[in-house]
Amino acid sequence: MILRRPLLSLLTAIAFVLMLGPVAILIGVAFTAGSTLAFPPEGLSLRWFAAALEYRPFIDAFGTSVLVALVSTALALALGVPATLALQRGRIPGRRVVENLFFTPIIVPELVLGLALFQQVMVGLQITALGTLVIGHTVLLLPYTVRVVGASLALADPRLEEAARGLGAGPVRTFLRVTLPVMAPGIASATILAFITSLNNVPLSLLLTGPGVATLPVEMLNYVQSSFDPVVAAVSVVLLVLSVAVAFATERLAGFTKVFGR
Amino acid sequence: MEPVVRLDRVSHRFGGRDAVAAVSDLDLDVARGRFTTLLGPSGCGKTTTLRMIAGFLRPTSGRILLEGADATSTPPEKRNIGMVFQSYALFPHMTITDNVAFGLRTRRLPGDEVRRRAGEALELVGLSHAAGRKPGELSGGQQQRVALARAVAIRPSVLLLDEPLSNLDARLRVQMRRELLRVQRETGLTAVLVTHDQEEALELSDTMVILNAGRLEQQGDPREVFPRPANRFVAEFLGYDNFPVLPGAGPVTIRPEHVRLLPARAAEGADEAGLDGTVTAVTFQGSHCLVEVDTPAGGDATLRSVHPGDGLRPGDSVRVALPRRHLVALADAAAPAGADR
Ligand SMILES: Nc1ncnc2c1ncn2[C@@H]1O[C@H](COP(=O)(O)OP(=O)(O)OP(=O)(O)O)[C@@H](O)[C@H]1O
Ligand SMILES: [Mg+2]
Repeated sequence: MILRRPLLSLLTAIAFVLMLGPVAILIGVAFTAGSTLAFPPEGLSLRWFAAALEYRPFIDAFGTSVLVALVSTALALALGVPATLALQRGRIPGRRVVENLFFTPIIVPELVLGLALFQQVMVGLQITALGTLVIGHTVLLLPYTVRVVGASLALADPRLEEAARGLGAGPVRTFLRVTLPVMAPGIASATILAFITSLNNVPLSLLLTGPGVATLPVEMLNYVQSSFDPVVAAVSVVLLVLSVAVAFATERLAGFTKVFGR
Repeated sequence: MEPVVRLDRVSHRFGGRDAVAAVSDLDLDVARGRFTTLLGPSGCGKTTTLRMIAGFLRPTSGRILLEGADATSTPPEKRNIGMVFQSYALFPHMTITDNVAFGLRTRRLPGDEVRRRAGEALELVGLSHAAGRKPGELSGGQQQRVALARAVAIRPSVLLLDEPLSNLDARLRVQMRRELLRVQRETGLTAVLVTHDQEEALELSDTMVILNAGRLEQQGDPREVFPRPANRFVAEFLGYDNFPVLPGAGPVTIRPEHVRLLPARAAEGADEAGLDGTVTAVTFQGSHCLVEVDTPAGGDATLRSVHPGDGLRPGDSVRVALPRRHLVALADAAAPAGADR
């Protein structure tokens, strides 16, 4: 393989280094025993993880981040899955238009969305910063859930539901025994994607954080503006591990690679 | 005997009353225990008809009777109809057994009966060994047989099949056709099969129904329909390629294999009509050649004849002989059909 396609192999290797190199450096720096963001690390220690645990704003922000990610992912699924079903299986006039409407948050820059939410919801309706964060992230995640779940439905044979009905299953049984299992892999993927997108989002969160309420990436951004020690690297590693863990757990739970045995 | 399915002036228009009808005023009886095929070119309304029988589509007008009772607005799950889809539509997340058992479980049959009948249905199609596998692990032909087993297992009052063989390669198609006929005969089920393959219809049908643009053109036993197409559309669809205009006769048709080619200026038999012509094309077809002949006196300029082909070249003059006993009189001289084929 390597011998037959030297150029392709080289490019792949470069891509891997570019993608994983910074991650490796970050992990190295996080475990350093020294007190600068230097690579290679000067000895190994967990002192910066300990320091991160001591720093109250990070702990609070971590809680906020996880809460916002969980709630907004759940909301985006609760809204997105029925919307997808209606779009894919229902007879909706102007289907394309509605479908593209769900796509707009991806196109509209997050800062614009954030500003609008900030002005209208946070200031206008006097909703708390946390509430606005959840609303903002839900809007941000909705297109992902609609698209990803929609893709799994679009790939499935639209006659499956008819087959179930023909075999004597009513609409409810058909949904529970056929439609939902067919969508499960898509829902699992959408969950991962949404959770990680929310967890790592900066631009939207930046505008929607209020006094005493910030997500972890925003708090990290605040932190590096004043001090420059390996604590942020340690926190980044925590975020990274959490993202990977969620992806892994969801994959195992839903086993979506196994659902379609083809 | 009362028909299992009766369509009473059924029409369906997609997109409201003013749209073009996919099916128009269709009257159809499906006889119990028989194999009925719906035959016609693409877009003639075959699938639409089947979906109305199954209950997936409501007729825009007309009535559907199942076992003599009006079922026009009965939902599909209450109709006891077995459907085999062109795409098979097997549940991808279930094993083969669970697919076949699905319709038995919705009927709340006891567990041991579900297992027994699912097993019997799989045995009927020769797939007992694949019971524990997922549909994605089976070949197209095997999936097709699972779909058949799933539909048969519920002992439906009618089995509907929408082009079940069209996704298979030519050899497997012929093999599955026999298999289908065997299953239908063994179970004694009433079957309605949709196809646009006339060979399939001829081999399988007790009754064949020919549709064109949502209307019924002709129906009957294939042994009666095939030699006696009622009109030009049916004739063309069944491969009657020639529509000569003979002096003193109405519209007629004749199959290429019945058209004889004689040397120029030879005399045709007493029971044959003769026309002078010029060969325009000779196409090799394997066991024979298809020879196209221009006959200026024959109205419809080109006649096709099946011929050994040896020695004939474009430009040769020939005498075309049409045996009168093979000439079929047509009820109409309709415009050429198959425009949207
Ligand atoms: N969902 C739909 N919306 C609008 N028009 C439709 C729809 N389904 C079918 N039609 C139209 O109705 C007509 C009949 O379609 P139908 O699918 O019944 O044809 P068919 O005989 O099964 O053709 P084929 O051999 O290609 O499967 C066609 O003109 C088709 O374009
Ligand atoms: Mg069709």
